[in-house]
Amino acid sequence: MYNNNNNLPKHVLKKKERKSTRSSYCAVLHLFLQVATFPTPSEQKKNSCFLPPSSPLRPSPFKMAAARRLKRVAVSQPGFLGLKSNVKPSELVSSRRKRVNKNKKKNWNRHSDIHDVEDFLEDIRHQERTTGGLLSEKPDDSLFFLDVGQTDKAGNEEAEPVKAEKGKRRVQRPLRIDLILQHDSMVPAPKNVTAYQQPNAKKLRRIAQKAEQLAAKGVLPRRQRRLLSRRPAEKTVKKAEANNNPDRDFYAMWGEEKVTDSADPWYLQQTGKKLVQRPEKLNQKPSVLPAVEVIAPGGSYNPDFLSHQALLQEAHDVEVQKQKQEDKLQRQLAFRKEDRATEETILHEEVEGLVEDEDEDEAAAPNEDEANSALGAIAVAAKKTERQRKKEKAEKMKTQQQQASRRQTERQQQLFQLRSIKSSIKQQELQTKARRMKRKARQEAQKALPRRLGRLKFQAQDLEVQLSDELAASLRQLKPEGSVLKDRFKSLQKRNLIEPRERAKFKRRLKVKYVEKRAFRQIT
Amino acid sequence: MGGTQKKKFERGSATNYITRNRARKKLQLSLPDFRRLCILKGIYPHEPKHKKKVNKGSTAPRTFYLLKDIRFLLHEPIVAKFREYKIFVRKLRKAYGKTEWSAVERLKENKPTYKLDHIIKERYPSFIDALRDIDDALCMCFLFSTFARTGKCHVQTIQLCRRLTVEWMNYVIASRSLRKVFVSIKGMYYQAEVMGQLITWLVPYQFSHDHPTDVDYRVMATFTELYTTLLGFVNFRLYHSLNLVYPPKLDIKAESELKGENEDEYAMDSESYPEKLAALSASLARVVSTAEEEDAQLDAFPTEEEDLEKVEAREKEQMQLETQKKIFEGLKFFLNREVPRESLAFVIRCFGGEVSWDRSVCIGSTYDATDETITHQIVDRPNVDKSYINRYYIQPQWVYDCVNAKVLLPVEDYFLGVTLPPHLSPFVEEKDGDYVPPEKLKIMALQRGEKPEENDEDDDEEDEEQNEDDEDEAEEKNLKEMEKQKSQGKSLQVKVTPGKMKMENPVRLEQEEKAEEKRLAIMMMKKKEKYLYDKIMFGKKRKIREANKLAAKRKAFDDTEKAKKKKTKN
Repeated sequence: MYNNNNNLPKHVLKKKERKSTRSSYCAVLHLFLQVATFPTPSEQKKNSCFLPPSSPLRPSPFKMAAARRLKRVAVSQPGFLGLKSNVKPSELVSSRRKRVNKNKKKNWNRHSDIHDVEDFLEDIRHQERTTGGLLSEKPDDSLFFLDVGQTDKAGNEEAEPVKAEKGKRRVQRPLRIDLILQHDSMVPAPKNVTAYQQPNAKKLRRIAQKAEQLAAKGVLPRRQRRLLSRRPAEKTVKKAEANNNPDRDFYAMWGEEKVTDSADPWYLQQTGKKLVQRPEKLNQKPSVLPAVEVIAPGGSYNPDFLSHQALLQEAHDVEVQKQKQEDKLQRQLAFRKEDRATEETILHEEVEGLVEDEDEDEAAAPNEDEANSALGAIAVAAKKTERQRKKEKAEKMKTQQQQASRRQTERQQQLFQLRSIKSSIKQQELQTKARRMKRKARQEAQKALPRRLGRLKFQAQDLEVQLSDELAASLRQLKPEGSVLKDRFKSLQKRNLIEPRERAKFKRRLKVKYVEKRAFRQIT
Repeated sequence: MGGTQKKKFERGSATNYITRNRARKKLQLSLPDFRRLCILKGIYPHEPKHKKKVNKGSTAPRTFYLLKDIRFLLHEPIVAKFREYKIFVRKLRKAYGKTEWSAVERLKENKPTYKLDHIIKERYPSFIDALRDIDDALCMCFLFSTFARTGKCHVQTIQLCRRLTVEWMNYVIASRSLRKVFVSIKGMYYQAEVMGQLITWLVPYQFSHDHPTDVDYRVMATFTELYTTLLGFVNFRLYHSLNLVYPPKLDIKAESELKGENEDEYAMDSESYPEKLAALSASLARVVSTAEEEDAQLDAFPTEEEDLEKVEAREKEQMQLETQKKIFEGLKFFLNREVPRESLAFVIRCFGGEVSWDRSVCIGSTYDATDETITHQIVDRPNVDKSYINRYYIQPQWVYDCVNAKVLLPVEDYFLGVTLPPHLSPFVEEKDGDYVPPEKLKIMALQRGEKPEENDEDDDEEDEEQNEDDEDEAEEKNLKEMEKQKSQGKSLQVKVTPGKMKMENPVRLEQEEKAEEKRLAIMMMKKKEKYLYDKIMFGKKRKIREANKLAAKRKAFDDTEKAKKKKTKN
């Protein structure tokens, strides 16, 4: 789990550090270790008597004193090299001893001096950080080199780089920012342990082993067996074929109706399993005209004389009608002779405004009179007298009575006019009937007519006609007239299936500017 | 008088209609998509009775739809497909813009598509409904199948149309249901009777398209989209009704006959089979192979005496129809390369003839021009370099005229270099009293089984005869027949005996009696009825007068023609 190349002391140390770094015996142990690091590795190898770092380190009371002594001795020696320069060896050895009761744990904690231990540990960590391990364990080669003095070659080499250095240095030296960001510790980052853990690893391993054994025997696991025994799925994932695929297949559409309406129709409709029923009214055709209107007999490729003439006449009538309309338009737009300027009108135009007309004043005068009279009428209207009112009332009554009596006599007279009344009623009925018939007939006729379905009116196609000299002598020489495509299109419009439209006009957004090319200009 | 004020345009017709733009917004579709949806679903614009009310007081011309129709459209699953397609196009454009070709490929592979099957089922709940609306579908498919594959519409659509039309033609051949053909300057009109429905369609001439600019191709393509689906399902049903295999397969026996040496020169392997089908020269394979189509006898039901006559008439009609279906049976045709092959092959095969053509013209020829058993060779050029003595060389119009006349017409009028008689429209049905062109009269006489005048006589004599004929035509038909008999000298052989005279008397008496009765009946009429009767009679007389006028005109025209001819001869 831990790093494999961790040596034992470190391992132990770390543990101890975590548990109780302040315990005294531990401190002693560390002192001991520090001492052990003291000799150079080369010496260490020579002095086999020195304790190897891997020896079992069991703290024992009798050893403690000896170790302390040893440490003190080691540190006080002039040749001791601590890695931390600020810690003087003399400080390590306290001059005066404090006397403290050691029967209380509190005192232990307070008065046991652990500076040395911590320093030591710091030192070890420092070593690990900077060199990647304890110096004592490093091989000699990595720490020392043999100084053989300056050779001639080296001198030569030194001269050369001076020249090349300027160019190379820039390339080789890393950027300062990179240096700052560099990881400055040589201790590798601890690995994420849980990342390497596998849940149920043991069980899985066991299963795998068993499976291996079975596979060696040739027995397949159940799941695999089932997979193999299953019929391979047919590759019927048909790609949705296009509607106009020339090889598409058809089926019996109008077969027996399947009665599978067991479920609620509302449910089926809402889930899209059943389409909404088409209203019956939608199946009515919007026009009574047949889909294909056969051309008149005169349109035969080899027509009979009279029917051809009839067709020509029809086409001629259409053309005449068109011409008439065009002429009418021209006539309406034409310049009228009355509007032509004569000398008189020109003179009148020129003099306009210069000569004052006296008529205007005359015309204005009567208007004033009228206004005065109107005002007078309002003023004259006076209050009616009592007598007048009574008179009016009596007159009104009289006329009403007269009318009533007249009505009475008329009603009485009608008794003798019964026959004529009857006949007049009959006539009226007949009239309404005739009108109704007419209306109905008109409605019927309208059914065959193209309706106004949009902005544009339906315009019938030009009649297909071949003149007498255009008629082909034989079928081989026949030149078809008109376009069937257009005929079909117009037929759809005529039957009110589509509204007549005109092709959208192309509108140029930007103005076109014509420029003569230079090459062209040179020629001209 | 109290109550809240009624707001305008919140009830009545204003709420029953919706403008196109509002409908479009309600469905969240673009205008082309909306238009397409309406066409596919069969929802058409309406012209409201009171436009101003519907248009909320404005009189601007607008396109209106019924609100209920638009609400119905909201349920259509295809609407979602349209939106999907819109998004697909947007993604594709983006991928193209970024030049991400792999993305373009992937998108194209997953292009959203839709089917119209459910719409067909919805719009045509029964097969007969579909058959009634098949005219349009046929016209459109025949039209699109003749388009050049140049990007005016999808090539696939053209191919599908071609396939469906070939299937249809093969069905008409197999069921022998063609009734009329009319070769017009616009195209060819055909009429077939399928399951009791008269179906008319127009086939354009090949290679005759100058694409007009004022036609909305998108709208036409949408109609075609719907109609191809419709025609496909109708074809399926029709094939199954005849026990034919669908998609059509050639009969094995017929296929072996078709095997030519230069098949692979004509078409690629993948295309040769459809081409062979399109050649229309071989019969189709059946599900249950029957040696010969049995002539199914109509079940005779015991009927009342009144109906007996009707039944007899129907039976007679049926018999006639059966014979008409077989007018070309036993004849062997050979088509020269200058005649319209497909049309002629279709018509000839529809009436039981055998047909072939030069091997280099088209795939599927069954015999060569050198075949001795050929009875008719159809030629449309001034002269033929090599002619066989045992076959007629005739112009193509003969075939069409025979079909319309429902009898084999005399071939002499249609020989090479002969001025053809006019090609009359079979779609005109004359009532009695209408003017009937003399050519049609001749054909009618042939149909009745009368022999035409011999043409061996000299030209002049023939002219005279025709003159006589023309005079007769102005009069009653009976008279004309008598005249003919006279000219042929048949009545001369009959001897007049007194007994026979007596035999004639009662007939005459009867006639006179009848005439008298009629006169009396007219006299006894009420004033009102008399007025009506006079009106009817006047109409009839006017019709006859007009017909006479036309006949006179025709005669004058014929005379001038004859005079011209004589002049040129001299």
